[in-house]
Amino acid sequence: MADKYLVEPDVEFIKEVVGLGGDTLKKCFQCATCSVVCPIAPDNKPFPRKEMIAASWGLKDRLVGSMDIWLCHNCGDCTTMCPRGAAPGDVLGAIRSYAISEYAVPKFIGKAVNDPKKLPVLLGLPVVVFLVLGFITGLLDFTPGGDEIVHSHFFSSWLVDMIFVPLSIWVVVIFGIGLNRFVNDMHENAVLEGKTDKKKLEIGGLVRALFTVLPTILKHSKFSECSENKERATAHLMVFYSFIGLFIVTSIFFVVLYGFQIHGPYSQLNPVKWLANVSGIALVIGSALMIKNRMAKTDQVSNYKDWYLLWLVFGLGASGMLTEMTRLANIAVLSYPLYFIHLIFVFNLFIFLPFSKLAHLVYRTVAMAYGEYGNR
Amino acid sequence: MTEDKAAPVSGSILVVGGGISGLTTCLEAAEVGYEVFLVEKNPYLGGRVAQLNQYFPKLCPPSCGLEINFRRIKDNRKIRVFTMGEVEKVDGTPGNYDVSIKLNPRYVNENCTCCGDCEAACETEISSDFNFGMNKIKGAYLPFEMAFPARYVISPEIIGTEDAKRCKEACKYNAIDLDMEAKTINLKVGAIVWATGWEPYDAAKIDNLGFGKYQNIITNMMLERLASPNGPTKGQIFRPSDSKQPESVAFVQCAGSRDENHLTYCSYICCMASLKHVTYIRERYPDARIYIFYIDIRTPGYRYEKFYKKIKEDKNVFFIKGKVAEVNENPDSKNITVVAENAVTGEKIKQEVEMVVLATGMQPTTKNVKLPADLKYNEEGFIINDFEKGGMFAAGCANKPADVVSSNQNATGMALKAIQTLVRR
Repeated sequence: MADKYLVEPDVEFIKEVVGLGGDTLKKCFQCATCSVVCPIAPDNKPFPRKEMIAASWGLKDRLVGSMDIWLCHNCGDCTTMCPRGAAPGDVLGAIRSYAISEYAVPKFIGKAVNDPKKLPVLLGLPVVVFLVLGFITGLLDFTPGGDEIVHSHFFSSWLVDMIFVPLSIWVVVIFGIGLNRFVNDMHENAVLEGKTDKKKLEIGGLVRALFTVLPTILKHSKFSECSENKERATAHLMVFYSFIGLFIVTSIFFVVLYGFQIHGPYSQLNPVKWLANVSGIALVIGSALMIKNRMAKTDQVSNYKDWYLLWLVFGLGASGMLTEMTRLANIAVLSYPLYFIHLIFVFNLFIFLPFSKLAHLVYRTVAMAYGEYGNR
Repeated sequence: MTEDKAAPVSGSILVVGGGISGLTTCLEAAEVGYEVFLVEKNPYLGGRVAQLNQYFPKLCPPSCGLEINFRRIKDNRKIRVFTMGEVEKVDGTPGNYDVSIKLNPRYVNENCTCCGDCEAACETEISSDFNFGMNKIKGAYLPFEMAFPARYVISPEIIGTEDAKRCKEACKYNAIDLDMEAKTINLKVGAIVWATGWEPYDAAKIDNLGFGKYQNIITNMMLERLASPNGPTKGQIFRPSDSKQPESVAFVQCAGSRDENHLTYCSYICCMASLKHVTYIRERYPDARIYIFYIDIRTPGYRYEKFYKKIKEDKNVFFIKGKVAEVNENPDSKNITVVAENAVTGEKIKQEVEMVVLATGMQPTTKNVKLPADLKYNEEGFIINDFEKGGMFAAGCANKPADVVSSNQNATGMALKAIQTLVRR
């Protein structure tokens, strides 16, 4: 580190972090209790004390590209032990949220996702898209009829895929652009702060490290090291695995549909359906638990970005399960509208994935892989 | 200056607490001619200062100030001292208070010559509060050598036992009266000064600092007692687990201070106290290494800064900016490892030492037990002085955390406030 360092505070950055849930930031007096009590901070340049001062000074460049903000799992041990009532866990959460909108382009979408006033627009967008495309192509039939409820008769699978296949590509492209910058920033920051022994970044090594950290992620072992709010790990694990389950189900469905021309709905005796049902129930229970935990936690800041995602996930799970249940009960008047609502949630989750808090699944994974690769 | 310096005939002042602030208030008022009642709950005067080894920054022993004050009290006919007394009730208004004081039995009367025969005869041993439980004393004891009043005390713990009888039989001067009972006295006073002082914050409440769990973690006030010639080790600084002379000591500053989970404020004295403790250890053990973990060192004023600078020159004293937040014990050596992040270098430090001293802060005695008077307290339990209303005032650490010098200055001021109450009547 140079002897002289000209601090150029980014005041806007400080304001944004404060607005995103880091409002306790300025209470910090740098005693470093947090860095010691953090069960997962490394010995060399531990977090979150240095993040607290950097954020307080508005040193945006040191934070948005730092792997450390992602190595933090927001367990809250630091917040509990903080002598000042500053909440380092929440501040890091706010910085992560800022970092997500920094890397996801175009930035105005990220802003909209974090703005409660834009919620009607976000929810209205899929409605417009579904209706317009549906009418143009004629793949949306409001009077499907028939004895049995078949959702594809109402909202054609062609229409679903016409929308969601491009959306998936969109997600991959946006993440790709973000990750390209993020990985380079992360490496530069790690070299600057002496957090890595690697001088040059090799993507091959990073990818190999990704496989090394996968078991840690799958087992949530870092998450479980946190003592303060262990119950969160269970709920998070449920949601995490239900998404994996639903991803598998959707992939099978997609392959079977286009490869074998077999349409849904599947029989309840089909193992794929079992996985779908278990995942759906886990999603509803897991997200409900997360909502309950957040409501019960008065010492943890919960703001719009947290609630948006939680209710979206819960809504997604609940509408999905209700769609299926009303279909089995043969209540067409409820089942078709519920399916429509379900698709609105799915659309929201997909299109804003790289912009919402859910993007952590990509950034944290890559940061953990980089930490492994760089011997953090 | 007015010529008439005589006090109104009926105007007397009650001072509650016989620590350094109470002594000063009492003497300042009495020596300009006012009648003063001094009530102290312990069997001796001197309070927390009596437990110290040395004052900072001059490093002179507490006998310095206490001895002369005791002498002045003894010689002053305007002062009446009640030890083992507790205020039970205060009624009335400024200038006109009725106070009930409960006097607990000492079981020893003024015939006592401090010969020590009762102590020798007594077999029961009790934990010494004066030494923070680090040793045991007899059930009949003299609080400390310089205790004033110079008179033994029989602990209530042995009353009704054979031991009490043995003590009584051993006394050649007929000084032990086992039938003594608690009594209540009533006083009429014009003003009251509350100098109820402080107690060390209970270090066992600081979960992550291991006090009470690991033997070799002690508090700053315990170190004062260890270093005192009249302490449990006769002034030797030994670590508790094996009475070894510690070769390395870590000081944990702000242990439970400036902390919303404990004491929210800075106690003002702990930094200077730890720096003073460094001198205790360094003069005894020239090779000992000392690690001071701090958030920031607070040594206000020219003299304290100078003291700090001098300690910093010591090559064996290491200052680390970073609060200790975790401690571990090596079960074999009983050494303690303290963990902190050095906030300057950004490295996590795990320093193994032979003994750890927690620099705990001051908690007002009025935090947990409120006084039986119409007083206002702040959130931390310190008494708020209401000068508008007057009549009753808090002095010294009953009002705010302070060192001895500031307490004395404050006590002098409160003596004057009490006098003003009487004169304006």
